[in-house]
Amino acid sequence: MARKRALRRRIVVAILVVLSVALLTVYFRESANGPVHRSESSAMRVVSPLQSGAARAIKPFRDGLSWFGNLFSAQSQNRSLRTQVQQLRSQLAQQLVVQQQDTELKSLVKMRDSSVFPKGSRFAQARVIARSTTAWYSTVTIDAGTDQGVRLNDAVVNGQGLVGRVSAVTPEASEVTLIVDQDSYIDAKVVPSGAQGLVAGSVTGDVTLQYVDRSEKVVAGQVVVTSGMRGSIFTANIPIGQVSAVAQQDVELYQSISVTPWVDFHTLDLVMVVL
Amino acid sequence: MAQRVPAIENPADAPHVALELGRLFVLLVVATFLQTAVAANIHILGANPDFVLIFVVAVALLRGAEYGAVFGFVAGGIVSIALFETPGVRSLSMVAVGYLVGRYAETADLSPSVAPIVSVFVATLIAESLALLTQFLFGREVPLVYLVDHWVIPLLVLDSLLAMPLYLVARWWLRGERHVRISET
Repeated sequence: MARKRALRRRIVVAILVVLSVALLTVYFRESANGPVHRSESSAMRVVSPLQSGAARAIKPFRDGLSWFGNLFSAQSQNRSLRTQVQQLRSQLAQQLVVQQQDTELKSLVKMRDSSVFPKGSRFAQARVIARSTTAWYSTVTIDAGTDQGVRLNDAVVNGQGLVGRVSAVTPEASEVTLIVDQDSYIDAKVVPSGAQGLVAGSVTGDVTLQYVDRSEKVVAGQVVVTSGMRGSIFTANIPIGQVSAVAQQDVELYQSISVTPWVDFHTLDLVMVVL
Repeated sequence: MAQRVPAIENPADAPHVALELGRLFVLLVVATFLQTAVAANIHILGANPDFVLIFVVAVALLRGAEYGAVFGFVAGGIVSIALFETPGVRSLSMVAVGYLVGRYAETADLSPSVAPIVSVFVATLIAESLALLTQFLFGREVPLVYLVDHWVIPLLVLDSLLAMPLYLVARWWLRGERHVRISET
């Protein structure tokens, strides 16, 4: 009986391991319209409303918690005031959320109306409803998909600059690969020097401008924008960030340039997809 | 830990099978909901909690290796598809976690006050090591020291802190410990 049970257990585990590997293999070998990719789309139909709801429900708590944390050191009020303070905190947290959203919306409108995008460009406004929960992927899920006109590789921006590109799309939601992801490479140029290169992300979250020739004059503080070269998925001059450090080594063909993105990816909430 | 009986081995337990599977299904829904909709919004110590892993460990401790592995496979699969992760990777690590923790529960004398925390700690290490290995095999950048410092250690702390409360919820929902130490296997 015990041997039979042990055998059954081993068979079950072996089957599950084989199924996992098969799933992995099928995912990499099938086309973008294959069954596993389609199942992502179906899953998103169910999950995206839940994610959206949870993100909205939890946001005030997150904001409140961080606000509380910042003021923790100042909590020396007497007992009779504490109830009043708590009420005020709750109200203030809500107001901060509204204020933050107002600021974000204004900056989005400013970005939309800027000269960066050609006249007649269309945009889809979206909200971040989920974020990758592993160290390996810097992605977010937004609540706009093909129903809103979003397509694969569309650029995603917010008021500060370039956020990333759409890397998977379903009718109701899309996955956005952020510019800090290690699979992200963007044609970019430094202004005003005009030096061109590739902005690349990494697992550590550091962003670098690669393949800039040693002869190019690049200094800290200069601005990095998309180059919009032919074949690039991004239009030209979308702000990316600022050069934070430049290093040149005699043995290297190219300069080592660190870039600080202007987008704050930790507080990313409202974004626009350039359709 | 008290003597436990195998999950559903006795034919007299057959009427309870549907109820048992129903409870596990609800736990699966809760775990995947927490992981896909809530975990990303909880960023403490630099990491997001792995609710699915903790529930897989809980099921494995309470119901053994077979249930742990199957629960891990299904939960891992759903979460990776819902979060646009590469399907199969999370399933594989959750199968390993469910099976190994389940075997530990079946063959070792467990202290109920320590087992969930130790199991979740070790399971997190196993899952993260497997993730690291698979990402390395995919040819992705693997800065080991940075990842251990900024991701694995915070995750170990966070998951271990959440282990006991979530284990107690799972134990309450699955109506206690029903399986025994099966050291002869």
